[in-house]
Amino acid sequence: MTARVLANGPDSFVWWAWVGDHLDDVRDRTVEHVQLTLWAVGIGLVIAMALATLSLRFRWTYGPITWATGVLYTIPSIALFFFLVPILGLGFRTALIPLVSYTLLILVRNIVEGVDGVPEAVKEAADGMGYEPWRRFVSVDLRLATPAIVAGVRIASVTIVGLVTVTALVGAGGYGAFITDGLSRRFSTPIVVGTTLSVALAVVLDVALVIVERLLTPWARRGVAVR
Amino acid sequence: MTLEGSGEAIRLVGVRKVFPGTDQPAVDGLSLDVPEGRIVALVGPSGCGKTTTLKMINRLVEPTAGEIYVQGTEVHSISAPELRRRIGYVIQQIGLFPHRTVEANIATVPRLLRWERARIRDRVHELVELVGLDPGLLRRYPSELSGGQQQRVGVARALAADPPVLLMDEPYSAVDPIVRARLQDELLALQARVHKTIVLVTHDVDEAIKLGDCVAVLDVGGLLQQYGPPAELLRAPANDFVARFLGRERGLKRLALLTTDDVDLIEGPVVPVDVTVDVARSRMAEFGVEWVGVRDGETLLGWTWGADLNGSGRVGDGPLQRFMAAVAPGAPLRETLDAIVLSHTRVAVVVDDANRYLGMITIEQISEGIR
Repeated sequence: MTARVLANGPDSFVWWAWVGDHLDDVRDRTVEHVQLTLWAVGIGLVIAMALATLSLRFRWTYGPITWATGVLYTIPSIALFFFLVPILGLGFRTALIPLVSYTLLILVRNIVEGVDGVPEAVKEAADGMGYEPWRRFVSVDLRLATPAIVAGVRIASVTIVGLVTVTALVGAGGYGAFITDGLSRRFSTPIVVGTTLSVALAVVLDVALVIVERLLTPWARRGVAVR
Repeated sequence: MTLEGSGEAIRLVGVRKVFPGTDQPAVDGLSLDVPEGRIVALVGPSGCGKTTTLKMINRLVEPTAGEIYVQGTEVHSISAPELRRRIGYVIQQIGLFPHRTVEANIATVPRLLRWERARIRDRVHELVELVGLDPGLLRRYPSELSGGQQQRVGVARALAADPPVLLMDEPYSAVDPIVRARLQDELLALQARVHKTIVLVTHDVDEAIKLGDCVAVLDVGGLLQQYGPPAELLRAPANDFVARFLGRERGLKRLALLTTDDVDLIEGPVVPVDVTVDVARSRMAEFGVEWVGVRDGETLLGWTWGADLNGSGRVGDGPLQRFMAAVAPGAPLRETLDAIVLSHTRVAVVVDDANRYLGMITIEQISEGIR
């Protein structure tokens, strides 16, 4: 064991010296990966909110909207990335569009189901107190759907962190750049680094979102039974 | 649109509701006046349109035809949210906002009305006291409260902006009978202080009788069968439906509403303490009873069996028993009747706070009184 560590070099599974020499790259790829993930989930959430509002307001649109976002979800991401290259060229935008489209199904469904899950009695009481419909939607319905919405954001974020490793293929950087680099040179160290970091980022993001949810829903932590 | 000089807080005129996709109206041609400051109970079997009627008052359900006035204002002449902020609303499932503290829940309507912070805080504390909540609960969330506490918060929230009108939809059906009885008593005590105009929907005829100053009995399809004070309905049901709905023991239910003031008290077989046994015996014979009451001035001392009166002395010489069945003036007749059937003498004596004897009541008097 000691011998192997001392013998650490380019042929090892992980060549630690290489890692030490590329900390700047690690930082840059992390920034790219995080940025792409946050933009994708952020834009996805805004669009999903609009689609969910539409679905809730005009119930008949929910079927077509889930159908359309479902189709987007099933398109293999790599296919979509390369499909967009001739149109938008290589880079951030080309990576972003498929990522956003990937989040929509999960987010729309969680928002709509979250709002549907708000007890009828609470909605009726809010109406009876004299809430305007839009005001009730924002400060009662959406507020109470927070746990379901955050749950959707968590799934979307973790999925996107995984998908962003592929976007290096269309020149958007991220941890995937380490992996493609390693693959092209048959050099395992960057592959291990890229994979490990993307898993770590997914875990960190998930934990961060759990904390956000706790802060946003103080009522859920207390009490015997949440009605 | 204002009805000048109207003594009615709520007025329904020819109200009809047909829900889309049905032929049968849920409510048909309903006209009802709810007097200011009174509790009106809408009661009937399921499908009688009582809840629909209630929800038309605050426009949670829009009527198909007819007019509804609240405090003289036709409900469609202002926006629905504006109307609802003037009307308190309590529902069976209470519907507290689970994401808000008790304090924020109670403050809902004042916040919608943009009251100042200090005013809202003062009002919340006033309400907590009014509905009998522990102020320590203000920072809690609804899920941390018992059913009864949640119900009180629901009432406090409905009363927050001091609306003249309160609508209550089956407010006590979700709590157990013991809590229900207490909350009903609390509502009556509360009403004695705030004098709101309350429309209360219930399927429980006993609750309607207990809480309503007036009771409206509806049949399926929202057809008004009878509307009047509960004692009136019990005395003279308008038809078989009302009679059946009021149920058995109509007489007993009426007794709960009537008091000793509603019957004529009799002096009864009572003699002054210093008369002779012979006088007492003739008094007993006059009333056809085997016992005699003994009084000293206005104070009732007790009673004794005729058989225990001895020889030729005064009635006060022998041992006396206390009247077990003594009631205060104004006591419900049901309680009085209960006292009578449990007593040896088959009478209830009415004695006031100062221990003065006012008279006695027998089953005959009660029977006369409820006829």
